[in-house]
Amino acid sequence: MNIKKSIVLRARLAFLAVFLFSLAIVMKLIKVQVVDGEKWRKLAQENIMQYRVVKATRGNIYSDNGSLLATSLPFYKIAMDPSRVEKEKYQKGIDSLSMLLSAYFKDRSAEDYKIRINLARSSNKRYITLNKAMVDFQTKKMMEKWPIFREGRNKGGVIFEKVEKRFRPFSYLAMRTIGFINEDNQGVGLEKSFNEHLAGRDGEALFRRIAGREWMPIHDDSEIRPKQGVDIQTTIDINLQDVAESSLMRHLMEHDADKGCVILMEVATGEIKAMANLGKLPSGEYTEIYNYAVGNEGLTEPGSTFKLASMIALFEDSNMQLTDSVETGRGTYEFYDKIMTDAKPEGYGKITMQEAFEKSSNIGVSRKVYEHFHLNQQKFVDYIISMGLADRIDFQLKGEAIPYIKKTTDRSWSGISLPWMSIGYELKLAPIHTLTFYNGIANNGKVIQPIIVKEIKMADQTIEKFETKVLREKICSDATLSKVKKMLEGVVERGTAKNINNTIYKIAGKTGTAQRIINKKYTQTYYTSFAGYFPADNPKYSCIVVIDNPKGFKLYGSDVAAPVFKEIADKIYARDLDMHKPLLSAVGNQEAFPVIKGGFYEDLQFICNEMSISNHLKAEDEEWVRANPVNRAIMWNKLEMKKDQMPDVTGLKLRDALYILENMGLRVKCGGVGRVESQSIPAGTIISKGMQVNLIVSQ
Amino acid sequence: MREEDSIYRNVDWLTIMLYALLVTAGWLNIYAADYNPIASQSIFNFDINAGKQLVWIATALVLIIIPVFILDYKFYSAFSYIIYGLIIFLLIATIFFGTEVKGSKSWFEIGTLRLQPAEFSKFATALALSAYLGQINVKFEHLKTKLIALAIICLPAALIRLQNETGVMLVFAAFILVLFRQGLSPWVLILGFVSATLFVVTLILQDKILIMQSLAIIGAIIIVTMVAFSLLRRKNIKIKKILVRAGLIAGFCVACMIVVFSVDMVYNKLEPHQQKRIMILFNPESDPKGAGYNIKQSKIAIGSGEFIGKGYLQGTQTKLKYVPEQSTDFIFCTVGEEHGWIGSSMLILLYLFFMMRLIFLAERQRDKFAKTYGYCVACIIFIHFTINIGMTIGILPVVGIPLPFFSYGGSSLWSFTILVFIFLKLDAHRRQVLGH
Repeated sequence: MNIKKSIVLRARLAFLAVFLFSLAIVMKLIKVQVVDGEKWRKLAQENIMQYRVVKATRGNIYSDNGSLLATSLPFYKIAMDPSRVEKEKYQKGIDSLSMLLSAYFKDRSAEDYKIRINLARSSNKRYITLNKAMVDFQTKKMMEKWPIFREGRNKGGVIFEKVEKRFRPFSYLAMRTIGFINEDNQGVGLEKSFNEHLAGRDGEALFRRIAGREWMPIHDDSEIRPKQGVDIQTTIDINLQDVAESSLMRHLMEHDADKGCVILMEVATGEIKAMANLGKLPSGEYTEIYNYAVGNEGLTEPGSTFKLASMIALFEDSNMQLTDSVETGRGTYEFYDKIMTDAKPEGYGKITMQEAFEKSSNIGVSRKVYEHFHLNQQKFVDYIISMGLADRIDFQLKGEAIPYIKKTTDRSWSGISLPWMSIGYELKLAPIHTLTFYNGIANNGKVIQPIIVKEIKMADQTIEKFETKVLREKICSDATLSKVKKMLEGVVERGTAKNINNTIYKIAGKTGTAQRIINKKYTQTYYTSFAGYFPADNPKYSCIVVIDNPKGFKLYGSDVAAPVFKEIADKIYARDLDMHKPLLSAVGNQEAFPVIKGGFYEDLQFICNEMSISNHLKAEDEEWVRANPVNRAIMWNKLEMKKDQMPDVTGLKLRDALYILENMGLRVKCGGVGRVESQSIPAGTIISKGMQVNLIVSQ
Repeated sequence: MREEDSIYRNVDWLTIMLYALLVTAGWLNIYAADYNPIASQSIFNFDINAGKQLVWIATALVLIIIPVFILDYKFYSAFSYIIYGLIIFLLIATIFFGTEVKGSKSWFEIGTLRLQPAEFSKFATALALSAYLGQINVKFEHLKTKLIALAIICLPAALIRLQNETGVMLVFAAFILVLFRQGLSPWVLILGFVSATLFVVTLILQDKILIMQSLAIIGAIIIVTMVAFSLLRRKNIKIKKILVRAGLIAGFCVACMIVVFSVDMVYNKLEPHQQKRIMILFNPESDPKGAGYNIKQSKIAIGSGEFIGKGYLQGTQTKLKYVPEQSTDFIFCTVGEEHGWIGSSMLILLYLFFMMRLIFLAERQRDKFAKTYGYCVACIIFIHFTINIGMTIGILPVVGIPLPFFSYGGSSLWSFTILVFIFLKLDAHRRQVLGH
């Protein structure tokens, strides 16, 4: 082959090669687009169409009077697609935007923000999270006015991603009782126990993807609408909860105790009005970390509060009278090889049964129980069981501990089991169980189930109502009842808890100071408690206070737990007119509240606190507030004040109104004394310095 | 008078028209690839890719096409080595002072302008190679010539490899095709082709022993058949010739075996993502979320266009960013999705026509320099075209190289423009040189 020919051939080959390759591509395209086109088209549809979960809105949790305890609020995560912004607007706005972001989040400098956004823009990133912190709706509204952001989603590139977040308006109050639940359905408290109701059922809908990582729902037949969660109304009284929690907190701190709890219950209905649980964190702070009142960690040997059950058993099984005497000796008594001691080192000597109970003599109670029941020990246990102390109460919150009451057939039953059980050892109860029992006594022997959720509601419609449930109709005879009531009152009048005695109303109850077991040995650390009810004559509330492992010199239930009881009882008594004796209410003003309409917060708060009026500030650090009476408490609302806008000063004392208005540069004309009835410039009007406003003031 | 022949009359307007068609179609598709129906930005908005591409197109016209035409046609052959040297220098400088973008250190930043010297090394190498082979005293038959030509090709290729731009490096294979036109033995191509086939087969079967045995058997059969034929057909048997042939075939088989044997070595030398890209070709489902994702999304986009396409700006897969690099390397997806098989085939036809025209123009050159250069241009475009479209439809591994004139990006548009228009300039003056 000569060169010329060869080159022509090679040129032709070149043409052929290009042609063949192109042909190959076209053939492959026929396969992809025509033969398999259908398949790819379906996949493309799948790409842009998707079934996505439509979250159901979670129900709210309300207090007994309808205040929100927990609700779901929309929060927003702020992200940005900087590539969307037009160059001119971007350059004009980026500096001020970075400054605003930095000023709001305070986590990095304006320069930092600018560099981050610039970088994302120059590398054509379509999505950057500006901050992980979420902002609420108000803040979102504010941010929508910021430079660049105000251009909106498409031209400003701002992305507000909505996230529903659980919000508790009273933040820490009853935090553990309200509880929480996470995405894996792990949780505690009401949120967990009533999750099925609160959660509702998520729906599903077909979504179509649109530009910018967003999905748009397509409403078609396949849509499954979400079933919104329903609300639950609890029995919690937010004011009492506040009182219980702050009182407990103070005393825990005072005694440097490990943990504590308070349960307050309405005697007749079993409604739990407050349930506070505080535990000490390693940092020394106290917070709601576990529901000791109900849960397993609260299950423990109750100690002397259990003597009430022993006394009932004795009274029921014998003709024992309060005046019957018992020899307690010199403060020690031997049961087999084990020595029982009394709190008083030299002993109480020979005392009546009533005294033995009131002074909480271990020897007195246990000797009598042993004397009476040692031949038929199971009988004693049967009495305990018949009082309902061995049963769970099927509380509405999940995770209730199971009471532990030993039986004579148990292997661990020994010769000393009976005497020790009689004073509250060798058995385990959670505070809620002890309280249920004491409430039964207050309720004349009728034991009722404590409830914390009254109703399940959808808006105003009741779906399910939880009625008061009687657990035991009558746990003892009326004769026994009057005896033990007398003794319980005696504990406060002259017994171990006389430090909380007062002349205004009567408290009945029993102190408990149990030695704590650490590593299977009793130690010189204590589990203190006080269980009881008030007013003793006509019991309305029962309450138990538990403070675990207090430190210092005074370690008895009377010194540690009883004062908390008293504080709570005092607060309730002060605000509950029904409890007042007729004489007292005749003296007092018919109007429960002094007229408070608004004014300087610190002053008003001081007045209310002095008068024991429960009051709460909704927001933080407000100077000027308006009163909003709710039941027998006052919620302080913020008095709206905006720069250069006329505030609403009606209802305020003239002095306050003058102060506010003149500070805003207004000239005020007024006459009379008392409160402002009306103002000549309507609230919200734009004002300027030197304008005149006329106020009409009247008593 | 030839001197009076204006460039306007002599230049090949057909090629320019095809060029303009491709660039315009590219620009429209870049707009479609990023189009957001809600934001609805104008195609002239300089914040989006389409707007920027328009700037690149305009600057290409002013800064490249006009100067290329104004310069004397002899400039290119005369300064080819200098240009080549300059580019080599730039490539080395990039390795040390370049900016890293997506794992490749191949960009030079001059203010806000970012250029990729590797892109420009294509036309520089083409010029240098053509200049060398165009010298009257250089005969391609000499081994020395072949080696020097190979060195001219390999030097920039190696430097680009150092910048981690494997894709651009592959483009240099185009020059081997040019050498074939110059008289390189077809055996080189055959051997290359066979090696590639064996490489792939070995990777798929993963059974070297079997392949080597088959090779030995096939070799033996061929030798036996050849010997038998020779013995039967000719009376005067030249034993020596038969032996040489048998030896050659045996040697070829051994070479194949070496290729098979070294597959793992080569394969392991590749980066993990490159290995995956190769495996994905044979088993598209093997890594649907990883390397397979891109190619699957690309196929979904093209395939869902079906026969007539979804219509201009109506595509969803590219706009919603399912397809990666939708305005650069995977721009063909937009064509496939919105214009279907008809549109895709028309685009391929357009390229085919363009490349054929270039080969035709190359063949009509009298000057060896211009002829070789023409082939270089055609081959470079051919390689880009094949690899780019091949990868989007899943017949070739994913290699990040642009579709000529079409993909978004200034460097590639400029470099292709320079490449083509130097050739058009040379072509316009083809009558002024004496043929060899």
